[in-house]
Amino acid sequence: MGTIISKIEFYLPESKLTNDYLSNEFGRWDADKIELKLGIKERHMAAANETAGDLAYYAAEKVLKGYDRNKIDMLILCTQSPDYFLPSTSCILQDRLGLRTNIGAFDFNLGCSGYIYGLAMAKSFINSGLANNVLLITAETYTKHIHPKDLANRTIFGDAATATILEKSEEEHIFEFDLGTDGKGKNNLIVTNGCLRSVYDPKAENKITDAGDVYTDNNLYMNGPEIFNFTIEAVPIVVEQCLNKNKLTLEEIDYVIFHQANKYMIEYLRKKLHIPKEKFYSNMLYTGNTVSNTIPIAYADTLVNGLIVKGNKVLLCGFGVGYSWGAVIVEV
Amino acid sequence: MKKNEFVNQLAEYCEFETPELTLDTPLKSIAGFDSLAIMSIIAFIDENFNMKLTALQLQKITDFNSIILLIGEDKFEND
Repeated sequence: MGTIISKIEFYLPESKLTNDYLSNEFGRWDADKIELKLGIKERHMAAANETAGDLAYYAAEKVLKGYDRNKIDMLILCTQSPDYFLPSTSCILQDRLGLRTNIGAFDFNLGCSGYIYGLAMAKSFINSGLANNVLLITAETYTKHIHPKDLANRTIFGDAATATILEKSEEEHIFEFDLGTDGKGKNNLIVTNGCLRSVYDPKAENKITDAGDVYTDNNLYMNGPEIFNFTIEAVPIVVEQCLNKNKLTLEEIDYVIFHQANKYMIEYLRKKLHIPKEKFYSNMLYTGNTVSNTIPIAYADTLVNGLIVKGNKVLLCGFGVGYSWGAVIVEV
Repeated sequence: MKKNEFVNQLAEYCEFETPELTLDTPLKSIAGFDSLAIMSIIAFIDENFNMKLTALQLQKITDFNSIILLIGEDKFEND
């Protein structure tokens, strides 16, 4: 017995932020160069009154269309932009989606590695017999954390939600995982204020990065060079360890999907790992970096476009805020 | 790698648009030296010298010479 990804859908909020708009607003920016280097042309943004819980709801409704929602017996939501401190956004979603009440539902707080951890938990619940049909949702509204004058982060991040249904299957389709954590990197991608260690400060002072971007401790801060350093160190190791745990080689993998951080970063990783271009996903042109959503969006996209088909082995790898990272191989 | 080759190869890697760069050309005077170029510098040094420069070290670079000092002059051949 095992676990299989049976359905996957995503939702992008209506509002779009284009490179041309940012170029006009900031004037110190080459829209074409950004598209070429970062591989991003536009990104979607949740409306002022639209939360990660709303995006999650829309994505979940898409995946539940034509599916008997009474079969769902576990709801897991990955988000770092919850609707409230408490209760869990997943509990609100259980009610809003009309799911049964005799099921488990909980949030977990991870960013770009989140989908991998979500798959690990879904597989564990199903294979242990605690659940049969898991609804795994990722939903993120990072754009709400970003200072309006922070061009670098406004360029990179977009909002989205995804919903995946995982079911019990005859054979195992979610293979072995390799996971990693290093909290020493906590200050390199952080929203410092807003929780209880350091509460939201309406008088927080403006800080300016070397590149001229503005942020306060109430906003998202990312140390790009350090995140890049972490990535080029951690990702080759986690990929190799994941392949070893599964007794597979890169040649035996049909397709590779990394967290779509930005085109430059993942292209560098692709070359470093000698992954052929034709079996490597790189597409964030119309979404930007949507944090925990990028891997499931890519998975859905490759399925729809026939880049992966039933029986293919796909290596998924997420990495980022925490630091937290993980990889797994799934069979379509 | 010779130091002058380093300048030329790094400039090409980063797609700097200013011609005739030398070891002591101020980086901030170079067309194309921006946050994306910093990522390229990290990638170039990882690829060619198998080492990581921290964000703190990168904040202090002023010209190509200063990058060479961070990598270690012993890694370069005499011109």
